[in-house]
Amino acid sequence: TGGHTTEILRLLSCLSESYSPRHYIFADSDKMSEAKIRSFEQKRAETFSNSQFTLDRIPRSREVRQSWTSSVVTTLYSLLYSLPLTYRLKPDLILCNGPGTCVPVCISALLLRLLGIKRAIIVYVESICRVETLSLSGKILYYFSDYFIVQWPDLKEKYPKSVYLGRIV
Amino acid sequence: FRFKDSLAEDLRRADLVISHAGAGSCLETLEEGKPLIVVTNEKLMNNHQLELAKQLHRDGHVLYCNCSTLVETLQSMDLSTLKPYPPGQPEKFAVFLDKVVGFQ
Repeated sequence: TGGHTTEILRLLSCLSESYSPRHYIFADSDKMSEAKIRSFEQKRAETFSNSQFTLDRIPRSREVRQSWTSSVVTTLYSLLYSLPLTYRLKPDLILCNGPGTCVPVCISALLLRLLGIKRAIIVYVESICRVETLSLSGKILYYFSDYFIVQWPDLKEKYPKSVYLGRIV
Repeated sequence: FRFKDSLAEDLRRADLVISHAGAGSCLETLEEGKPLIVVTNEKLMNNHQLELAKQLHRDGHVLYCNCSTLVETLQSMDLSTLKPYPPGQPEKFAVFLDKVVGFQ
């Protein structure tokens, strides 16, 4: 969704062309991210000739402030889509930054890892909006990601296993 | 005005921006180098949205008030006390990620 997409594109802005192909996964209800991503990739293609990317949508895992129990159900539903998708893409690296959409994708990656099918590195970057508290996705993925990045020192103190690089978006 | 696709042009022409505490609005304004007054409505907003606005205020980048104190803030404000907002550094993320993945 909006803010998350803007942030993740900024994170991608300084990455070398070794990070290719890029597979973007976002919620089916998201109307604006596709345009932002295409615009970013178009600019990128002006500098890097072999730029490759794909776009995929999965059902949105959770609405803002949706109840815990119904969120589990909707996330499981999203998992039905994210699992075959992640299996097909077999990513080496998963970069996510907080929308509910990242949870089923990361769960899928962990399942593939457990089954010995593919081991992806999971890097989570908490949004710059999160100064004192983690998002729900953050609270979950703090334990399941390989690298968990926060952008404010307060969070680094509260979550010692996190990585603090300062503001990166 | 209702919903424009982008406020970027209006933002560039503005001398002062008064906004709600949404992260996108705040950061876009600060990155454009415009003085910003953030107006919060603690009753409507959920706590997490205020975190960024409060931190930006603590760091001296924005002025901060609520609906009832807005007029007073406008009358007594000193915009020269606002500090410029340094942009984020995605280069640091790139360096970190290269190490993680093994590209050196």
